[in-house]
Amino acid sequence: MDSEKSARRRGKVKWLRLYRRILTEIEREIKIHPAYADLQNQIGLLLMVKGKTEKAERHFLEALRQNPKYREATFNLSFLYVETRRWEKAEEILLLEVKRHPEDAFLHQLLGVLYFQTGRKKQAAGRIHKAIQHHSYFRDYYSKKRVWQRGVVHLHRKAEGVLREIHWSHHSAQFHNFIGLYLAKKGKPRQAILELGKAAGLKPDEFVFHANLGTVYAYQGAYPKAIQEFQKALKIQPFYGMGYANLSYVYGLIRRTREAFRCMKKAVRINPQYADLRYNLALLYSDRKRYEEAAFELKKALRINPSYLFARINLGVLYEDQERWKEARREYRKILQVTPEDKHIRNRLERIS
Amino acid sequence: MLKEDFVIQSNVRQILIRSNIDYSRITFGTVKGVVYLRGVFKSAHLHTDGSGEGAANITIKSLESLEKKIKGIPGVIDIEFELTNWTKAGGQWILKKAQEDGGR
Repeated sequence: MDSEKSARRRGKVKWLRLYRRILTEIEREIKIHPAYADLQNQIGLLLMVKGKTEKAERHFLEALRQNPKYREATFNLSFLYVETRRWEKAEEILLLEVKRHPEDAFLHQLLGVLYFQTGRKKQAAGRIHKAIQHHSYFRDYYSKKRVWQRGVVHLHRKAEGVLREIHWSHHSAQFHNFIGLYLAKKGKPRQAILELGKAAGLKPDEFVFHANLGTVYAYQGAYPKAIQEFQKALKIQPFYGMGYANLSYVYGLIRRTREAFRCMKKAVRINPQYADLRYNLALLYSDRKRYEEAAFELKKALRINPSYLFARINLGVLYEDQERWKEARREYRKILQVTPEDKHIRNRLERIS
Repeated sequence: MLKEDFVIQSNVRQILIRSNIDYSRITFGTVKGVVYLRGVFKSAHLHTDGSGEGAANITIKSLESLEKKIKGIPGVIDIEFELTNWTKAGGQWILKKAQEDGGR
């Protein structure tokens, strides 16, 4: 019993130390980059967790002043207003946001909590209904808690607790995600995974948490787990192009190039203007000896970014392989205009001149 | 030997991410087993360009380690470094600015 208690105390002390370290670091960064809305939002989040609501509010407002469309800062500020029972301010922000994003389930959910707590049950039910309509996560959650039954919202006696639970989950999940990313950046993947796992556990419908977990697992070399997390992220957000790209790189690391190819094609379809993705797809085509398609992707990459040197080198080599000497020479000469000291390319050019 | 450029490219990306290098200033490509690295080479934990003696030693070690790791990727036949601040001459890594000064 005692050892359990002291372990808990040690854990708390360790956590507080980490918290202070992060806080100090962000405070230092803010002094260097006072106009970074991200930093203002992050420090606000940290202060809010510690109950320093006045200071937190100042930072969220500053974040929104710097970037009025900053979604997370808006959520955090309205959350703060709900928590400090400043209903009018919270409602004003949320109604404005909901006008901009009428299909955002979480905004309706926040308004639902607000209306419920101010005794406007009918309006609360309406907002919760909308949240359920726009996101299956809310439908599943409220069905499990019997707030949503046979197509009707039931704001029964225990509903307040249910609403507050989901309300807090979102906030805590954001916090754990932030700590996880910080730890990952500091080269502590094991601790980062624990925090990101907590975030994903609290809000399993948030694709970003799974994507972040996937990235850290990949960094750690735990490739099957990385694949699993990226797949979860993509199931939630099928138009997450970089998710497909990251998944493709992981497949590349374990030489599952057929899957890598399939994922990179999807990534390019979703993000056709990303030259780097087109370059990687070209490598996959070229490895399969599908030179026409590889050349097509490289030309596209060069159209997007004319100074993409590697794409030009690959294109020159592709032409050379196909004995299209004139085109190969043209590409090599263009490269040498940028990097005249490139011996590899000079040798290649001399060989075919 | 397998020479899948995409596999090599994925491995180079992974090595850069895992290293203590500020890889945001480096671009890379793979052409038929030859890896190209371009840009500014800087250790992530150093707040200088690496020109101080201690800093230079750390950077040289990072460069050697990076080179060794990339050469260890199956299918890699060569590495072409085109760094703006470091160059390799006679098997030694030299800070470009120092090299230019010495030549004057």
